[in-house]
Amino acid sequence: MLDPTAGAIEAPVAQSIGRAGRRARGYWAESWERLYSDRIGFACGLLILLFGVLALAAPLLSAVVTHHDPVRQNLANTFALPGQFTFPLGSDELGRDTLTRLIYGARVSLLVAYLTVILALIIGGSVGMLAGYFGGWLDTVLMRVVDMVLSIPSIYLLILLTALAPRIGPVSLNPGNPYSLAVIIALVSWGSLARLVRADVLSVKERDFMLATRSLGASNWRLMSRHLLPNVLAVMVVAASLQVGAIIVTEAALDFIGLGITPPTASWGNMLSNSQVYFYHSLWLVILPGLAIFVTVLAMNVFGNTVRDAFDPRLREMR
Amino acid sequence: MLWKYALRRIIVALPVLLGVTVITYGLIYLTAGDLVPGLQLNPNLRPEDIARIKANLGLDQPFLVQYLNWLGVPWLLHQVGLWPGAVRTGLLQGDFGRSLLDGSPVMSHILERLPYTLELTSLAILVGVIVAIPMGVVGALRRGSPADHFLTSLSVVGVSIPNFWLALLLVLIFSVGAFQLGLPHLPSGGAASSVNGGDVLDRLAHLVLPTTVLAFGYLAVWSRYTRSSMLESLSQDYVRTARAKGMSERRVVYVHTLRNAVIPLVTLIGLELPTLVAGGAVVEIVFSWPGLGRLALERAVGHDYTTVMGLTLFTAVLVIAGNLLADVLYAVLDPRIRYT
Amino acid sequence: MSEHLLQVENLRTEFPTRDGVVGAVDGVSFYLDPGETLGIVGESGSGKSITVLSIMGLVQRPGRIAGGRVLYKGNDLVQFSQEQLQEVRGKDLAMIFQDPMTSLNPVYRSGWQVGEPLRLHRGLDRPRSLREAVSMFRKVGMPEPEQRVQSYPHELSGGMRQRAMIAMGLTTGPSVLIADEPTTALDVTIQAQILELLKKVNAEYNTATILITHNLGVVAGMCERVMVMYAGRVVEEGPTEDVFANPSHPYTWSLLRSLPRLDRDAKEPLRALPGLPPDLTDLPSGCHFHPRCPFRIDRCVDEYPPLAAVLPAQRAACWVTQAGVDLNRAGAIVG
Ligand SMILES: Nc1ncnc2c1ncn2[C@@H]1O[C@H](COP(=O)(O)OP(=O)(O)OP(=O)(O)O)[C@@H](O)[C@H]1O
Ligand SMILES: [Mg+2]
Repeated sequence: MLDPTAGAIEAPVAQSIGRAGRRARGYWAESWERLYSDRIGFACGLLILLFGVLALAAPLLSAVVTHHDPVRQNLANTFALPGQFTFPLGSDELGRDTLTRLIYGARVSLLVAYLTVILALIIGGSVGMLAGYFGGWLDTVLMRVVDMVLSIPSIYLLILLTALAPRIGPVSLNPGNPYSLAVIIALVSWGSLARLVRADVLSVKERDFMLATRSLGASNWRLMSRHLLPNVLAVMVVAASLQVGAIIVTEAALDFIGLGITPPTASWGNMLSNSQVYFYHSLWLVILPGLAIFVTVLAMNVFGNTVRDAFDPRLREMR
Repeated sequence: MLWKYALRRIIVALPVLLGVTVITYGLIYLTAGDLVPGLQLNPNLRPEDIARIKANLGLDQPFLVQYLNWLGVPWLLHQVGLWPGAVRTGLLQGDFGRSLLDGSPVMSHILERLPYTLELTSLAILVGVIVAIPMGVVGALRRGSPADHFLTSLSVVGVSIPNFWLALLLVLIFSVGAFQLGLPHLPSGGAASSVNGGDVLDRLAHLVLPTTVLAFGYLAVWSRYTRSSMLESLSQDYVRTARAKGMSERRVVYVHTLRNAVIPLVTLIGLELPTLVAGGAVVEIVFSWPGLGRLALERAVGHDYTTVMGLTLFTAVLVIAGNLLADVLYAVLDPRIRYT
Repeated sequence: MSEHLLQVENLRTEFPTRDGVVGAVDGVSFYLDPGETLGIVGESGSGKSITVLSIMGLVQRPGRIAGGRVLYKGNDLVQFSQEQLQEVRGKDLAMIFQDPMTSLNPVYRSGWQVGEPLRLHRGLDRPRSLREAVSMFRKVGMPEPEQRVQSYPHELSGGMRQRAMIAMGLTTGPSVLIADEPTTALDVTIQAQILELLKKVNAEYNTATILITHNLGVVAGMCERVMVMYAGRVVEEGPTEDVFANPSHPYTWSLLRSLPRLDRDAKEPLRALPGLPPDLTDLPSGCHFHPRCPFRIDRCVDEYPPLAAVLPAQRAACWVTQAGVDLNRAGAIVG
């Protein structure tokens, strides 16, 4: 009689179907809804968008609203205090309007950040997909390369690269311009993306639909572009939105220490490096550009977390 | 068994290390490979002379030869009698080459600055861990309380605030501001005062601000991590078992939960060693802290590429060693990890 | 009045949820005498675990005991402070859980963990508690006890881990041992061994045992009395033999009917219980079981039946059987 297998009361399977009876909708639609329902996160997204618009409209704003040029010096009006009509946020040691320069700085910061993320996604995404999809020796080699890139502390690699870049003969990679700077930062920051994408590819690869499609005789290229990429895209979107903030800080740090965007072009980072000298009488020169970076990065990090939760609740612990 | 495990990890790390040397040397070779400081500036030298000097230095050799030379392979071969003639030592012998700026060994510069960086980062890590763990534990135990919300916001701020700006703000308040108000103030840079410098108190005063800035960044990340790891651990069955044994909640938390929660944190700290050195670099620059990061910047600005390359390599070695150490430590702490 | 070792009276445990307060345990009463084994059965989510966790005072926030009494040797554990409960837990009341892998702390050696109750409650030092753990391991049939106390949980097999859990529960000689599905996570052959061990322990130490299981076969082999739960309430309770021979609640009846039996006509089809367990935030009116009950009468829809004696030793909460209907006979007609 003591037979432990006999007559177990089965748990009803139907429970997991859910009493709420949620409608099955598209993955992206549902993610979008989750994104929309997080008020703070969504507000941060809007703030980023606003900054983006301001940055795009910088020349217009400077011509129509602030009536200042970001680089032209105006030695009659140095260190104007904030709050005046002509210089709402004050002026710097060369009499340039802080507000105008902040708006132009946003242009540089956001341009470099997004360009970097896109480049890093392209490099890291390709490497991760190739390694994960083909496996074998290609995987081993690529991932060892990733190990190498990740084991060099990025700031040293960046210092080395920005110092050497002007010497790279035919392709003029001058870190003083935003496009080159983005390339340099991207070259340093694709490693962790490659790892993430590879891990995701490995899990997607084993799913039934991949095996089914493969058995239908689809080519590798078709499998990767049509079936793998859309599935890996979620991880890439999430990783990218979590990384933008960090890249803005990196870029600002390089400008700040004098290895990035060079004056007179305004960037939030190089505005800060000048300000140090004038600590005593112009606080705002220290506070405002840093605040711009901080608020942007804060919004991006909060928004990044929201995107992560919305698109893939499984990734909650991802940093 | 542990030693075997450690050895195996070292062997796996070696190709990575070798790859790093190829990358860094390749970069220099491509960009500044034939740079001999001062040569171009000397008006007495004809192009032929320059070429001869470069040939004598071996700069006309193919990449592989130069690379192996730089690694110090011929020197090794010479020692076992397989290479004729005397040759220079290389990387394998701990020789990072010479500075393009002053001709002194790169290693001597590194060793001179290294203690400062280690002093700063290790103190900051220590402070970070000591503050982060209690923060995370409190957040987890009082989940959803005002204290938890406050700590969460603090860590979001800590992750988002650019550390060089935080550094400037602290200098503004605690050095410049306090000084102007005639209050006791902290030094805004350097490792010791030259006037009354040298005594312990003075050096500690110089450490306060940079350590605070660095530690704030670490604890922002680690307290979050401790919190979620603690929450995860608290929801485990063995915690219920512990409670069923009839022990105080204190003992449940500190003996049966915290230890499990802290184990993954150790790996995290190990894995974040790259950012530890990296984060430290910019802070060093703001505070004129005479560490490796500041050295790298000084030398980069001075076009001393060999020194910057040496630094890059050296920090990469530190990072690889740090990861290794974290792995081994993890294996020691967590009995579930088999040494395979 | 309380002559019983453990007496639970009208216990109610609630969880606040988004959809309203859930009464996971809703007015449960039962008793346990020294040395006896009581089985608790019921579908998943019927409140078995929460009932025993409430007895131990282990319900975690936001759950809370909203009413009732848990009398242990005449003292009401519900009124106990945390400190008083700590005194009782692990010393007088011990509990072992379903999954021995996750119920042991992975970072401590098994001997350390098994000896811990002795250090907590008897003030033993480490070496002595370890010696006790070795002898306890021997008693629960752990192979090579001296080596095994030095093992970490992941180095033990599933069966060995559950033996370690049992050893841990018994070190302090508790008078009540609560086993919440102690064999569900184990292989079939190991299950039988662990059940044998629990039986032996019960006989040898005279430890009263509460055994939660999904398995009616186990109840039949192990328990003197059985209690059936449905949607947080006790629906039937009585001596195992009587309940099995003469189920007096339609829920028990259908559970037993779905049990394959050797003595049953092979042509008779096996039937699983139709329908879903009720949603605790939205319970059916009247008897909670009525939507799934083949014997339902009008009164069942309006009024919850009290748990009342149907037969001398057997109580059930059912209007139909309280009116004298024999389910075994009626069942043949209902189908
Ligand atoms: N933390 C909680 N929050 C909300 N409701 C809970 C919580 N824990 C338990 N419940 C509710 O209590 C009910 C009873 O749970 P319990 O774990 O006692 O069931 P059980 O009979 O032991 O089931 P099983 O056989 O699956 O172990 C569940 O239906 C659930 O709705
Ligand atoms: Mg249960």
